[in-house]
Amino acid sequence: MEKKRLGALAVITILLAAFPGLNPEVYYLSFMFSVFMYVVLASSWNFIGGYAGYLSFGHAAFFGIGAFATAKMAELFALTPPLAIFASLPAAALAALVALVIGYPCLKIRGPYFAVVTLCFAFVVDLAVKNIEWLGGAEGLWMKTMDIPEQLSRTIMYELMLLLMAITLTVAWWLGRSRLGAGLRAVRADEEVAETMAIPTARLKIQAFVLSAFFPGIAGGLFAYYLTYIHPDVVFNINISILIVLMAMFGGGGTWLGPIIGAVLLTVVNEGLSTFAQAEIARIIYGALFIVVTIFMPNGIIDFFRKKNGRG
Amino acid sequence: MMKGKRNKVWSLLMIAAICCGFMILIPAAGFGAGKPIVIGGSLPLTGEFAETGQWIERGMRYWAEEINAKGGLLGRPVQFKIYDDQSNVGKAVTFAEKAITVDKVDLLFGGYPGTAARAVMAVAEKHKMVYVSMGGHMKSFQQGYTYSFGAPPLMGEWWYEGFFQWLNTLPADQRPKRAAVYTINNPVGLSLQDGIERWTKYLGIKVVINEKYNSPLTDATSLIVKAKRENCDILFSNGFFPDGVTTMKAAKALDYNPKAIVQGIGSVVPAWVKELGKDGDYVFSGTVLHGKLNYPGNDKLNAYVKKTYKLDGYPLYFGFGYAWMQVLQQGVTGAKSLDQTKIRDWLKSHKVNTIAGTMTFDKYGLPAPINFATQIINGRVELIWPKNVRTREPVYPKPAWSK
Amino acid sequence: MMGMVYALLGVGFSLTWGVMHVIHISHAAFGLLGAYLAYSLLQHFGVDPVVSAAVSAPLLFLAACGIYQLLIKPITKAREIIVASMILTFGLAIILENVMVLIWKADPRIMTPTYASGALIVGPFYFQHPHLVGFGMSLVGITAVYLFLKKTYTGMAVRAAWQQPEAAQLYGVNLYRISMITFALAVSTAGAGGIGLALLNSFEPHSHNLWLIYLFLVVIVGGVGNIVGTALAGLIIGVITGLSMAFLPFQWVNLVTFGLLMVFLIFRPHGLFKQVV
Repeated sequence: MEKKRLGALAVITILLAAFPGLNPEVYYLSFMFSVFMYVVLASSWNFIGGYAGYLSFGHAAFFGIGAFATAKMAELFALTPPLAIFASLPAAALAALVALVIGYPCLKIRGPYFAVVTLCFAFVVDLAVKNIEWLGGAEGLWMKTMDIPEQLSRTIMYELMLLLMAITLTVAWWLGRSRLGAGLRAVRADEEVAETMAIPTARLKIQAFVLSAFFPGIAGGLFAYYLTYIHPDVVFNINISILIVLMAMFGGGGTWLGPIIGAVLLTVVNEGLSTFAQAEIARIIYGALFIVVTIFMPNGIIDFFRKKNGRG
Repeated sequence: MMKGKRNKVWSLLMIAAICCGFMILIPAAGFGAGKPIVIGGSLPLTGEFAETGQWIERGMRYWAEEINAKGGLLGRPVQFKIYDDQSNVGKAVTFAEKAITVDKVDLLFGGYPGTAARAVMAVAEKHKMVYVSMGGHMKSFQQGYTYSFGAPPLMGEWWYEGFFQWLNTLPADQRPKRAAVYTINNPVGLSLQDGIERWTKYLGIKVVINEKYNSPLTDATSLIVKAKRENCDILFSNGFFPDGVTTMKAAKALDYNPKAIVQGIGSVVPAWVKELGKDGDYVFSGTVLHGKLNYPGNDKLNAYVKKTYKLDGYPLYFGFGYAWMQVLQQGVTGAKSLDQTKIRDWLKSHKVNTIAGTMTFDKYGLPAPINFATQIINGRVELIWPKNVRTREPVYPKPAWSK
Repeated sequence: MMGMVYALLGVGFSLTWGVMHVIHISHAAFGLLGAYLAYSLLQHFGVDPVVSAAVSAPLLFLAACGIYQLLIKPITKAREIIVASMILTFGLAIILENVMVLIWKADPRIMTPTYASGALIVGPFYFQHPHLVGFGMSLVGITAVYLFLKKTYTGMAVRAAWQQPEAAQLYGVNLYRISMITFALAVSTAGAGGIGLALLNSFEPHSHNLWLIYLFLVVIVGGVGNIVGTALAGLIIGVITGLSMAFLPFQWVNLVTFGLLMVFLIFRPHGLFKQVV
């Protein structure tokens, strides 16, 4: 059953990859880029949040680290644009490293306290970058872009983010079925019990956390290039952190599919509402959406449908 | 829950999502493909910067009303396609792209704040569309964009020019000697510092305190205590409305009476006068737009704003919205076309007349530094420099706080 | 000083979390609502904010009961009520914010009661009057909540429900009613807390986001559900910020505050005090 889902994902990915061939307007490429990006963010967050049950409220920090590291490396080494994009890989490694360093002490903390410590962490990183001139401080950093037609440029970014999304989702799927995943689920269910069963909870948690930081790092690098200009307020924004958590849990944490649904649904609905309703009304409807869905589907969307199909 | 009910909810959800999906796919419908000229882009209508975004919109719409009543632009009515970017820079970029590539708008309008403008300038450049906006301070105009214009720009680097030029006219012994400078750590604040550094050196004012703070500034008590302790006789509060208010309240509570208080961007917002009342008086600042300027158009805007919003003098961002449209309008009329490159070239080689005066643009898209010094006297923002636009004599040194 | 006011706002937040396991994201938004009400009363009728705090409390209490019945009760059956409550109240917060924009517009506001200026000088320390009033209000408010929980029958029922839900039920405590009362109580204190904060700084519809962050910090440091802890946490955070403002370049103040909190949480993850309600 699960393999069928993965197959469906592969098919959808191929279809999406072919989409630019229809020569759509740049806006659609950009919009899909942001949808893919949020799927990546929500899915990787889910490794630590949904699977392991450790709700990280500062995940935008890793996104931002990826963005800033990429932009700064591009500047330092005077990387030409194609190389600059690849700088997002070492940038993501840096994000993962930070996750390792931070994860070690922080993952010892449980429940809501973990949430707050990650929240603090995001602020600390944001403030640190703002106070360090070398990283652009409060001015932000600009990136150079390739001198190619915009359609091509956006198409490249689209495909790259699509690729990243496919990779992230494959990892998510694999994680759900692997021993690591099973271990994480045990941690989430009852950590003390897991420990008595000789499951190396600390190691598993750190692995999940590091993994969950890596992909947002790459996404950050891609985003930096896409936006051409980054600023701490933009990438370390707490709204991003909160939104990622909501997307994953809204769709259904702990499942591979949940974050996808959450990210896609929320991004699409938000955009649609902003396009057609008057600003405040659009926001009110958006807020009401959360309320309505939670009342009818209190355990997330995926869970709701699982029960419906009798697979509760 | 019954299976039937679940099916219903599922279907409702799907329908809603599909509807939203369709809404995105359908480009904004105009009345008829050819007739109106559509000017598109995004503004922060909700979220952190909502207040300013809404004033810019009002200024723009007033301009549209005015021009449509006179027959429109190039004989066609103008219409706006304004998206709400929710104070989110990423959204500002995607909406700009939407306006350009999906709605295929004829012209772009400028956004807010500076960080969004910085990102959208890049987009406009890539699509070769003229972008008249506040810009993102000096650095954004050094990126090599040719299609962007600051008309007028919100240039932190120029903000205090008028004030310092006036200060320069005072005899040396009357000028302040020791400055306390508190700056918010963001692009706006940093650009304000630039002017202060140059001028304090020139005027021989010692900058005793020069500190940055990160938003939010929850309490200014220690800032004022420090300034008092160091006997600073001029205070620069380089920040926005909330920090400006916090600083003023602290200054009053602690009875700190420097010869002058200069406040950055916050004091030019209507709420300053409205909410602080007498306590907001005598604060110096700068501006690029003002209702009492003698340039054509100002009195009309004042009358409109008085009638509609019961304000004396139009708010700064109302003026910005209007002025940017003015410049765009002249570019289009001058080039006699909606071709962006023609508009750009015309703007770069001709003079334009705006409510902020006449402007010519250099190769960066910037006019000559414009700045008027202001001081709030009796709850009104008065112009004090240059002399030819002065509306009231400046009050200096600052009177002590009245209880 | 600021810290105590955050604590007042935080007390209700802490209670809802501890007793009902509901993370009430729109708590700060209700606080903001209280602030706007007080502002309007001040502007139009010259009512002093402290009086407004007393007036708004019952209003908010009633409104909260309604909201509880409509929105919260249905999700108490969720498997992870903490998460479900977060999502739902997040939506509620957005709605509240935009309703406030529609009613009061997005312009920032300041609360200027008659004692707005003037400061108390004690040695090298300055205390602005509105700050003192906010502090006083917080003390009164927090003490009131504390006494309610410790001394009144309903209050004890709340504590029982929090510590031992099953046992409490056996003793005839109606969990739903208790939850509703807790929620309503929390929201009514939020109003007072919001007014306190409004006395200190300007506010606009978006402000609740900022307040919420400080709420999380205060509640966590003090220990979820721990009233006294929350109050002390508020004081401590206020002191840390104040001290760092006195001795460090202001640029680093926020960084230090959050950094210290992070370190603190790493070493004492359950908050400052043991769970003693």
